[in-house]
Amino acid sequence: MDSVRRTSEGPGRALVMTYGILALAACARGGYEVVVKFDKAPLAYSLSLFAGVVYAVATFALATNRRWLAWPTVLTEMAGVLVVGTLSFVAPDLFRLSSVWSWFGVEYLLVPLVLPFLGLAWLWRSGRAPDEASVPVDPAGGTDRPIG
Amino acid sequence: MSTPLVWVGVVLSLALAVWAGWYVLRNKPVVLRQLLGGAVVEVYLLIQLVVVLVHPAGGGAPSGLFWIYVGTQLFILPLAATWAFAERTRWSSVVLLIAALVVAFLQLRLLQVWGS
Repeated sequence: MDSVRRTSEGPGRALVMTYGILALAACARGGYEVVVKFDKAPLAYSLSLFAGVVYAVATFALATNRRWLAWPTVLTEMAGVLVVGTLSFVAPDLFRLSSVWSWFGVEYLLVPLVLPFLGLAWLWRSGRAPDEASVPVDPAGGTDRPIG
Repeated sequence: MSTPLVWVGVVLSLALAVWAGWYVLRNKPVVLRQLLGGAVVEVYLLIQLVVVLVHPAGGGAPSGLFWIYVGTQLFILPLAATWAFAERTRWSSVVLLIAALVVAFLQLRLLQVWGS
């Protein structure tokens, strides 16, 4: 595995942090909704909790360099936010009360919409063997410098 | 919940965000002093929690959702600090920047969810 970068390092460091925060936010929200007021909107609240679990698995997979788990998880996340986001516009009756992925995650500043694309881009990019063209991640070229 | 209690938290966490953002621009990793800055914010969040527990001013009892937020926000900076410090590139500063912005955001949300 020397030829590819670990998914937790470099840009992946920030990606894992973002996934972790979303996991925390969605699990706390979904868990609270399901426990306290599940009957009001079973579909939306179950989806929030499901989103939280997906984010938690993605966080774990990316943080521990488990690509085989990260790929399907991030793809699930992408499908989820796109399908639920679209449905919330096309069939708003389904989601009178919102879930994490409703309206493409606008309550979370659209981060849920952007994140799977960044995740896939990072999985793809970090998984390639480095060559001269792809290694410099940052124009200043100082990414791997030790603390100064 | 009293509004100044929240705004102090917003200002402190945004100050930390600016500090981290400055390091991102300068292409530098997180330094120990920034983690001490993060600890200051964290201590303030704890003080805030105690104040709300002892003297819930602002009318009405806080909602269950409020306690979820108060509890959740306490985890952000310690997790970010641990995670960031393992990385010795500018991306550790990005991690701290994200965490500080999220704390500022959650502080503002506290005002919204107080009575909901």
